[in-house]
Amino acid sequence: MSATLAAPAAALPPLRRRLDPMALLALPGVAFLSVVFLLPLLLLLWSSIRGEGGFTVNGYVRVLGDAYYIGVIGNSLQLGLITTAGAFILGYPAAFALARARGYAQVVLFALVFLPLTVSIIVKSFGWGIVLRRDGILNWLMLNVGLIERPVRMIFTEGALYAGMINVFLPFMVLPIYSVVRMIDPRYGDAAATLGASPWYRFTRVTLPLTLPGVVAGASLVFSLAVAAYVTPSLLMGDRYMTMSMVMAKAFLNLRDWQLGGAMAAVLLAVAAMVVVGASLMQRRLARHGGAA
Amino acid sequence: MTALGAPAPAAQAGASSAGHLVVTGTSKRFGAAVVLEDLSLSVAKGEFVSLLGPSGCGKTTLLRCIAGLLRPDAGRITVAGQDITALPAHRRNVGVVFQNYALFPHLTVAENIGFGLRAQGVSRAEAAPRVAEALALVRMGEHADKPVTSLSGGQQQRVAVARALVVRPSLLLLDEPFSALDRKLRETMQVELKHLLREVGITAIFVTHDQEEALVVSDRIAVMNSGRIEQLADPATLYGRPVSLYVLDFVGQSTRLAGRIVAVEDGVVTVETSLGPVRAPGRFAPGSRVAVAVRPEAVTLGEGVAGANRVSARVSEISFLGSRTQLHLDLPAEGEDRGVVELPRLPEGVQPGSRVTLAFREADTMVFPA
Repeated sequence: MSATLAAPAAALPPLRRRLDPMALLALPGVAFLSVVFLLPLLLLLWSSIRGEGGFTVNGYVRVLGDAYYIGVIGNSLQLGLITTAGAFILGYPAAFALARARGYAQVVLFALVFLPLTVSIIVKSFGWGIVLRRDGILNWLMLNVGLIERPVRMIFTEGALYAGMINVFLPFMVLPIYSVVRMIDPRYGDAAATLGASPWYRFTRVTLPLTLPGVVAGASLVFSLAVAAYVTPSLLMGDRYMTMSMVMAKAFLNLRDWQLGGAMAAVLLAVAAMVVVGASLMQRRLARHGGAA
Repeated sequence: MTALGAPAPAAQAGASSAGHLVVTGTSKRFGAAVVLEDLSLSVAKGEFVSLLGPSGCGKTTLLRCIAGLLRPDAGRITVAGQDITALPAHRRNVGVVFQNYALFPHLTVAENIGFGLRAQGVSRAEAAPRVAEALALVRMGEHADKPVTSLSGGQQQRVAVARALVVRPSLLLLDEPFSALDRKLRETMQVELKHLLREVGITAIFVTHDQEEALVVSDRIAVMNSGRIEQLADPATLYGRPVSLYVLDFVGQSTRLAGRIVAVEDGVVTVETSLGPVRAPGRFAPGSRVAVAVRPEAVTLGEGVAGANRVSARVSEISFLGSRTQLHLDLPAEGEDRGVVELPRLPEGVQPGSRVTLAFREADTMVFPA
């Protein structure tokens, strides 16, 4: 102990770099994730390359070489993209309303964003079922208003699925954008206006670029959640619209085909990893351009 | 340089008849709070006017109304004869240098300065030389491609000024432009900016709560008090002949004594104060409650000139300020009486606790209704 304290000052910097005390703060989290996440993930990936006679890429050949499974991957990506786009269109203005609201209005708006998060995803998805059924509320309403003459099939349609997915994942788009909007000095807009910039020019050249980091964060969050969605597509569409997660569940639970499930999981993981890495690269580019003070 | 504006016409203090900026009967309230009350102001072309007052006096609200960032509830604002009251900010051509500058953090120095030109539809090729010229004007040429977040406070201010001037506004508004700078830099920038704006020949309105700053940069100062202009005058008049105790207190220091009029003759009143009788030019009825005041440098120690007011007081504190020395007087604690005297040098033997005789001319003594 006393020897450490007496160490010459010149020796301190490399010692510090090796043992940054702040790094220790990550230790409990890293340890926890290693046991409950990393280990099972490695076992899963291991099962995807294990065949009758040892190592095999058969699982990947089955997933990537089969038109049905390519279709499933396409479905998942399409669902992820449409959900992300829909959540952005609804969530971007909502985040501004949330950030600019004051007092009572802000409390109400916050509740509107957060309450859906407190309702279980299963409850929500069943709720959609009730609304969209042939004898559901929406059909009843449209019939009575005279918009339609006979009930329209809505449940088990892709439109209903997208609406349900956007509903479930909207908060994950609103909150990151809100946190960025809140930090933007309203005087940037004022300054742009006094320089002769029209409202549209102010939005596209000042507001949008400054909120882009929040949009990137929200979009990558919603996309990676939506592309891996299981409960909502299962309840709103069932077997008619298979996603990667649904194939995985079927492979593990019904078919006991660990190779297929593992390979599909690896593909999903690769997609999610690309999105996360791509988003953080984009964030860094935005930051380098001076976005963050 | 010439491209940024016509050469400055000699600004004339008080030349308000042909107002370049004319604010008439302007009112603004937020809920129950009246922030501007039937305010009128006329500023001549090329003139520098400061709106001076404590926070909450309405000065920033007035600035935002002129810029078009707030719509007044009543009144009219014209610039160069054109009524701009109903125009949105981006159609007014009124430049603003914001407090803390509000430079766009995602753009470089040159992109910040070029923003207004591009927003107004000037092509990239046409904008480039004007941006370069503006950069040179504020001596920021070598920083053109830096992100604004890497600049010092003084450099940020220069960029903000260049950004506002490059679009050739008809009027420049500056909201506490020096408050983000440290004292030494602030004093340099005040003179530098005043010189620069004079060179460009622009009409400028400064909003500030710092009376020293207002005295340095303005041709005229409007002292504001709860939504109204209490006095609008050149700095010397404002300091030497304040119209009210509010202006007296806000601009500079003074010795101030409450009292009652005991004698009136030929426009000279005698006021009985806690330090004895004091004579001053003024017209008040005998018995009126008033306050007499005298500026710190108008007071001398000793007998003074013949016929001067003389009072005796005890020194409570002495502050050495470099070029001068300040004496604080021991006055009864109750009421708003206070005593401040400034001397070029401290006489031998005067120390805290000394009793001194103060002399000040009748003509330098002011009387205000209390």
